[in-house]
Amino acid sequence: MSDHLDVSALDADQRAALHRFLVSLADSKRILGIRYSDWLLGAPSIETGIATSSMAQDEWGHARLLYSMLKELDVDPVEVEHDRGDEDYASVDPLDEPFGDWAAVIAGMVVVDGALATLLESFSRGRFEPATMRVPKMLDEEAFHWSLASAWFRRLATSSSASARGKLSDATRAMLPPVLAWLGAEDEADDRLVELGVLEPAADRVRAFRDRVRDILAQGGIDVDEAEPSDGWDAARRRGPGHPGHEATERARGDRNRMLFVE
Amino acid sequence: MTSLPVVSGVDSPGTADGPRLNAGLPRHVTSHMSGGRDLWSDPMVEAPDDPEAAVWDCLQEVLDPEIPISLVELGLVYGVSFDEGEATIRLTFTATACPCMEFIREDITDRLEQESWVRGVRIEEVWDPPWTTDRISDEGRRKLRELGVGA
Repeated sequence: MSDHLDVSALDADQRAALHRFLVSLADSKRILGIRYSDWLLGAPSIETGIATSSMAQDEWGHARLLYSMLKELDVDPVEVEHDRGDEDYASVDPLDEPFGDWAAVIAGMVVVDGALATLLESFSRGRFEPATMRVPKMLDEEAFHWSLASAWFRRLATSSSASARGKLSDATRAMLPPVLAWLGAEDEADDRLVELGVLEPAADRVRAFRDRVRDILAQGGIDVDEAEPSDGWDAARRRGPGHPGHEATERARGDRNRMLFVE
Repeated sequence: MTSLPVVSGVDSPGTADGPRLNAGLPRHVTSHMSGGRDLWSDPMVEAPDDPEAAVWDCLQEVLDPEIPISLVELGLVYGVSFDEGEATIRLTFTATACPCMEFIREDITDRLEQESWVRGVRIEEVWDPPWTTDRISDEGRRKLRELGVGA
């Protein structure tokens, strides 16, 4: 395609918007990988734990590719990955704390991972060439995540255990508002990306997400069309207030290995 | 000692506080013996007339660290060029977080740099089009079937 975005022609505000968006995606992938990795040995079965571990691996692979896109903006991805404070992380809000139980893991797979995949699909259809080249492989891998997520959501949602159903519902309902706010960010910076053809309009992204999860969530008695985005928006980081806990960011940065720093 | 493969983002100059990357590690370590290195041919005695074809032949000898068929048969090599002694390999991986990325880069570099006519190796990581099992060659499929692996 000859219609790719000419990054060198972007003005400072446009560059900042693209930078913010890339970090928002990459940080979310990195922290989601950490949250998944916690369940390698804690899932309901060994097989599921291994699957979740593989998903953690995928998320870090995706994060690596997304951070590397910052080079298009003459930004050193190594600095971004390894030299930021906790409060600078821009991962989507529901990942700030570890998933509390397996039901929360599954809610995260459907809602958070599903939202990330939705946003990546939009990104891959846009004019930013690195995304059109690298995101389709990520989406191929995300298809496996969705298979596991949707099967487990159905399993918990139809469980005879009221406790399991309740935990799944509570976790899902808690995640939806911040994720809807994150997907549908209608602020100046994202508007610039829409104008540039890098992203599809916010309403389209939210609609795509609702379409993706509607039938799955309905099995748990949740109507995604009734969910509303949360208030509170940190435009500097493209997310709500707060940040991921230090136990996650120190792993994301590799704090304990700095004396042996290799990518 | 071979040079580190050219991988964008790795060769950070460090910060004002001093170098950060690889600070405690040797510059390059061939960290494994996979890739069927014991099956590699001896270096060519003379420079080839068609160096691109010769690079492909070398890559044909580099095996995937996990599945003993070559990177070429697995469909991971998307392109080869050769210019003034430098071989450029357009390479993809089966997964975005393939745990053998570094092994594969080392194997490619080490195999090519044992040739006197290769002065440098550049590996370009590419993801378009995404690798799928459809890219495995017929010969690769035949070898996998012999190993009891369906693809």
